[in-house]
Amino acid sequence: MKSMISRILFSFALLFLFSCKNESKSETTISSKNEVRYATGFSIQNYFGYSVVTVKNPWPKATKTYTYILKEKNGLVPDSLKQNTIISVPIKTIVVTSTTHIPSLEMLDEVNTLVGFPHCDYISSEKVRARIDAGKIKELGNNQDLNTEVILDLQPNVIIGYGIDNKNPTLDNLQKSGLKVMLNGDWNEETALGKAEWIKFFGALYGKQKQADEIFTKIEKDYLKTITIAKMAKTTPTILAGDMFEDRWYLPKGTSWGSLLLKQANSNYLWQETSGTGSLSLSFETVFEKAKNADIWITSGQFSSLKEMTDLNPHYAKFDAFRNKNVYSFSGKKGKTGGILYYELAPNRPDLVLKDLVKILHPELLPGYQPFFFEKLQ
Amino acid sequence: MKNRNTILFSGLSLLLLLTLLLNISMGQVAIPIKEVFRSLFGCHASKETWEYIIVNFRLPKAITAILVGIGLSISGLLMQTLFRNPLAGPYVLGLSSGSSLGVAFVILGSGFLPAVFSQFLLSSYGIILASCIGSSLVLVMILIVSQRLRDTMSILIVGLMFSSFTSAIVSVFTYFSSAEQLQKYTFWSMGSIGNLSWQNISILAVCTVVGLLFSLLSLKPLDALLLGENYAKSMGLNIRKARYIIIFATSILAGSITAFAGPIAFIGLAVPHLGKLLFQTSNHKVLFFATLLIGSIIMLFCDTISQMPGFDFTLPINAITSIIGAPIVIWLIVRKKSIQ
Repeated sequence: MKSMISRILFSFALLFLFSCKNESKSETTISSKNEVRYATGFSIQNYFGYSVVTVKNPWPKATKTYTYILKEKNGLVPDSLKQNTIISVPIKTIVVTSTTHIPSLEMLDEVNTLVGFPHCDYISSEKVRARIDAGKIKELGNNQDLNTEVILDLQPNVIIGYGIDNKNPTLDNLQKSGLKVMLNGDWNEETALGKAEWIKFFGALYGKQKQADEIFTKIEKDYLKTITIAKMAKTTPTILAGDMFEDRWYLPKGTSWGSLLLKQANSNYLWQETSGTGSLSLSFETVFEKAKNADIWITSGQFSSLKEMTDLNPHYAKFDAFRNKNVYSFSGKKGKTGGILYYELAPNRPDLVLKDLVKILHPELLPGYQPFFFEKLQ
Repeated sequence: MKNRNTILFSGLSLLLLLTLLLNISMGQVAIPIKEVFRSLFGCHASKETWEYIIVNFRLPKAITAILVGIGLSISGLLMQTLFRNPLAGPYVLGLSSGSSLGVAFVILGSGFLPAVFSQFLLSSYGIILASCIGSSLVLVMILIVSQRLRDTMSILIVGLMFSSFTSAIVSVFTYFSSAEQLQKYTFWSMGSIGNLSWQNISILAVCTVVGLLFSLLSLKPLDALLLGENYAKSMGLNIRKARYIIIFATSILAGSITAFAGPIAFIGLAVPHLGKLLFQTSNHKVLFFATLLIGSIIMLFCDTISQMPGFDFTLPINAITSIIGAPIVIWLIVRKKSIQ
């Protein structure tokens, strides 16, 4: 009997020891190095059986951070993390809400998991369009007012939302109904590589972190190489950017990603000294006074011909860049339903945007390259 | 009294000239006054950009401000007398809602049309055309209704109903629109007088002159209407004809201005009151010219403020007209303690 009791006690002790060991194993095999190098809006930390994704800046001046636990099959999540949203990965179905999320799915070869999108007409990607045409992607209405019933019916594994502030009652409701919502702040990222690195956010959802890292590293390498090439330029052309919307001229602020790209392409963007990451909104006369003699004009993508520009505003014709036909636009590449490809793909492919700009500003540096997004307006 | 009026008119004319000069010489780019005069009188300014800004940007804007100020103020005066309601303005008949509906249809609803149409409609001419069609449709309906209704109050109520009805349709459009479309529509609804080409200005000028001529025709009937419709009838006035002329004049003034400059608030409502308070008369001959001058001065002044000289941003004209104008009117009313 005694031996029986001592045997039982011993087994319990062993069990306890092992269970402790197991738990400590999951705690000690932490490789809690942040896998994200450029983006400031999110981090990924990998642990044994799960990853922790923290989203810091889903919108400007956000005060709260959002933590998501991506649990692998059979992975154990510590009790201390269980109050966060837990998503089982790899996911099989997804709803995304911004066209900037689409290229990541395509590059990771996961387009087939997309089951719903608000305002499908905006999407340019041919692969995704084919699925929309086949009725495999449901229209979800507006981002600010998603069609809750359709999403509830779809029951996606995860909904990738984005906010412009902390109020999005639709996303809150979906979360209350038990669906998993993750916030994505790619649009709020301030550097070109930071924006592009959000592919890793999607990579983590599909259990494809390694592949996402390889794709990003290739983009990063090409981008940095182009910066080096641009430094060899002998001239620094002056740049006017943007155009008028109603009677305000919108152009990128000095520390926005657009302005930084122009700087890295070795140009003198006339408003690069201003601070801030959004858009400047100026009057016509301010812009005319400063940029009448600018060498090159990169428009916002509103126009597809010089005539279209002067039809809307005859003042445009007075700029030297217009007279010399040095006006460029990215409006040429459109999806089947009119969505401009640049808005969808450019944040993911800063390497291409930079190469385009270098080709426009210093054509001699990239002799064989054909611009991907931009074209000269005729 | 006549003497007082002469002094007031001379003073206002001088003030108009001064505000016009102020408006042209002040903007976001600081241009020395000497250069402003050189540009205006055909001598070359020392910088090509300055000359271009003065002649091709500020001058058309100032002329537009004058036309808008005149048109809206006069149509406000006509409406207030016709409806014997101090709160009536040029938009009370639902004309601006009609314009808004036309423009909303083009900006927000262009997705429902074939690409060929939507491209034309989204150009500046398309928007102008849609705005004119919108306000004309409402006008035609008002005229049809006014044939059947005997009293002016009923027409006023019908006008308000049109406003509600069109606003509701616009809100349905906005609900189904993209962010970019909404932004475009919102900007249009904030009003803008800085984007008109010389060709646009000449069309607006013709419309304004036609509207003013019809207004001049109705000055006498307006004086009679002040005493009530029955009294006017007993004086041998053809009420129905007078009503048509007044409604037509208002519509062409308010409709064309809304088309080119967007719905500009407050001017039409407040300027007639300022005229009455300043000239202490209800004689429409005097009020007509008073309103015309005050409207231009206020509009030029508001535009000068909205350009925020010395800053690198501008404000929408619609916000300025109300922010500046409303306190002035409140102060005047409190001082006078009565308003007719």
